[in-house]
Amino acid sequence: MSVLETPINAAAADADVKLVPGKEFKLPTAVFAIDAHPAGKRLFAACFDGSVFEVSTETGERKLLGKHTSFASGVRYLPKADRVVSAGYDGALLWMNPAETKPLRTVAAHKFWSWKMRVSPDEQFVGTVTGQYAPGDIKYTPAAEVEPSIKVYEAATGKLRWSFPHVPPTLSVAFSPDSRYIAAGNLMGEVRVYDLQTGKQAAAWTTPDFTCWGIIKSHHYIGGIYDMTFSADGKDLLVCGMGPMVDPMAGNGKQTWQRFAWQEKTPRKISEIKETDAGGGLMEVLRFHPDQKTFLMSGRLAIGKWNTAIFDAASGRTLHTADTKMRVTDATWLHDGAQLALSGMTGQGKKTKEGKYPEFGHVKLYDFQRKV
Amino acid sequence: MTQDNEPIEGMGQCNTPDHTIHRRKFLQGVVGAGAASLMSWNGLFSMNAFAAQAKKQGKHCILLWLCGAPSQFETWDPKPDSIYGGPFGSIPTKIPGVRFGEMMAKTATIADKLSIVRSMKTKQGEHFQAISLLQRGAPPREPFVRPTLGSVLAQQLGHLDSPIPNFILLDPCPEGNEYKEFKAGNWAGWLGAQYGPVRAGGEYKLADVKRLADTTTQDFEQREALRKFLTRKYENERASAAASSQNAVFNRVKGLMSCADLFDLDKIDPKDRARYGPGTFAQHTLMARNLVENGAPFVMVSNGMPWDAHVFQHEIYQMLVPEVDKVIYNLITDLEERGLLDKTLVVMMGEFGRTPWLNVARGRDHYPDAWSLAMAGAGIKKGVVVGATDSDGIDVTEKPFDEKNLFATIFSALDIDPYAEYDEADIATFYRVEDHAAPIKEILL
Repeated sequence: MSVLETPINAAAADADVKLVPGKEFKLPTAVFAIDAHPAGKRLFAACFDGSVFEVSTETGERKLLGKHTSFASGVRYLPKADRVVSAGYDGALLWMNPAETKPLRTVAAHKFWSWKMRVSPDEQFVGTVTGQYAPGDIKYTPAAEVEPSIKVYEAATGKLRWSFPHVPPTLSVAFSPDSRYIAAGNLMGEVRVYDLQTGKQAAAWTTPDFTCWGIIKSHHYIGGIYDMTFSADGKDLLVCGMGPMVDPMAGNGKQTWQRFAWQEKTPRKISEIKETDAGGGLMEVLRFHPDQKTFLMSGRLAIGKWNTAIFDAASGRTLHTADTKMRVTDATWLHDGAQLALSGMTGQGKKTKEGKYPEFGHVKLYDFQRKV
Repeated sequence: MTQDNEPIEGMGQCNTPDHTIHRRKFLQGVVGAGAASLMSWNGLFSMNAFAAQAKKQGKHCILLWLCGAPSQFETWDPKPDSIYGGPFGSIPTKIPGVRFGEMMAKTATIADKLSIVRSMKTKQGEHFQAISLLQRGAPPREPFVRPTLGSVLAQQLGHLDSPIPNFILLDPCPEGNEYKEFKAGNWAGWLGAQYGPVRAGGEYKLADVKRLADTTTQDFEQREALRKFLTRKYENERASAAASSQNAVFNRVKGLMSCADLFDLDKIDPKDRARYGPGTFAQHTLMARNLVENGAPFVMVSNGMPWDAHVFQHEIYQMLVPEVDKVIYNLITDLEERGLLDKTLVVMMGEFGRTPWLNVARGRDHYPDAWSLAMAGAGIKKGVVVGATDSDGIDVTEKPFDEKNLFATIFSALDIDPYAEYDEADIATFYRVEDHAAPIKEILL
């Protein structure tokens, strides 16, 4: 059962919200992350083949800006600086000028993958998280980190500003709206929040609802917090992933988000997805709408009817669900929230008889409609 | 803590060193005299003495059973330049021109001690059937049940009166979907239950193998000698198979009582445990090394079926592959340092491979069309890679081999006739390897 103490915002709760499918673009390989230029005519896509593309939202034409030596896992556009920053499973951060086709700067951030990368709202910091899952005991509890799990770089210079510890693998990261705090979540459901002014840990807690220890096929942990975002006032932190599974290889845990009042002395869960609204599948994306009245959670459909849902920000009520027919890996709002872009993948597919490889990366645009 | 060369107290040794005569002589003595003996069982089977005998005479086999079917791309046959290659790169190995997946970094340094088969091509893509195929070496021919590799090797390499079981399955994960079903079935087939596995490890600790505290050694031996005398008498006079089986069970239990320490992880040198890594698979592979060192003919190590990554292939393999890399490196190195590698065949495989293409859940699915395995040790050439797949790993381009070729190779490597006819009552004509399938000669010494 959900715990709900936040007052319901009647206006938002009564809203009729809909995602109406629009244009769709294919890319050669899966799109791991996406971000938008504020004008909404250009997207930036990080792909499995390491490519970072600029993609036109009108024509789907793409331009290669840079390339990682492994999967590209994150991309963000910095409007003030007119720069694109990407991260990859090569552990590198790339800085790119979208007017050029060659990276301006490459920083070796991690020895292992960058699982997730975010840019602070004031564009001062680039935060990236890493960590390889190595067995720490006979039950495969993760071993301690061998390199800092959280790194914060200056966006303008690429210089390392902070390194923070966590337990690997650290899968998700988010900055507070005032750019003062960075939060990171890991495989074991542990969240740590650090103060970027003092370098001190501001909060830490563990939610047990995103992680399971394999019983059926194997004995190890799987799951974790795959994305997170602060509320507009910075007081709450929302996290997502999926609930425990009996078979850790099934990927069918409950589609789950939880909301925490993280600044309280003991961080407290204040709401979560309603039990009956959730299907099964890993949720990898959590985004507030620009007006902050709703938020989106998206990922994979394993059980149920949806892999993308819009929730009322105040009450947590599910307002709209959709099956996007792909695994969603990232989302970004365009035109002040009038349009939504989802990135993702379908199955990679066999090479055709003609020797061609099927394109399996997707960007799908949706009109966001709300009738009050 | 102990020093490197110091045995851990109780490890590999029985408690009372006062009796060291050979067990067979003892048995002959008991039967011949037809009288109770006061000798100590605990002292009979000095592990060191038995291991020395086994080293002189026997060959061993360790099967690292990577159940669930490991991906060839992230291990033995990487394709980093292919769109199907995944996020991991490849690294050079000790074999010139041969590369492994980048997470096999330690094993790459001992590649010159291994043989890699990159061209396995089998026909079964479902777990249960494929597990059976790769454990038995042939498809089913009902109603007959072909013995598994472990049972055949137990029969061929072991001794029924050995205190250490001839077929040990170290299997700390009791579940495993289709593997669980397989485990519940008949391993020994027509060879008979005496060649089935003794299952131990993890949650399968050997229970009730300690002599009761209020029973003295003398009492125990007197009772045992009397029991043996009476049941042997009954067995001989009545030609009773039941009594014979009961005696076999008693012998098995007594054997386990004498070597129970070998199944206790807490009795293994902490330095060794740290080297192998803390996970259950690593710890039980180390246990397998100790068991072989002490005379076990066949030990199979598995850990559920974790390699079946239909979801998040790379995210799961970033944990599994480094563990198995460290395990293989340490096992092969240890066996070599102990002079056991030439007598111990190590086989590292699952039941098939994984698809080149990722599914929507970013997993790789079942793929028997082109997959890899590795072998090392007894009867196997060092530093050989045989067979090849195309640039995307979709199909075998050189020298396809199937389960029959594999089993012929294993038997040949262990000096066991691959084509022997099973001479068992009430079964049709079967051969150890059917169709006279050829071994993989390229990797055989």
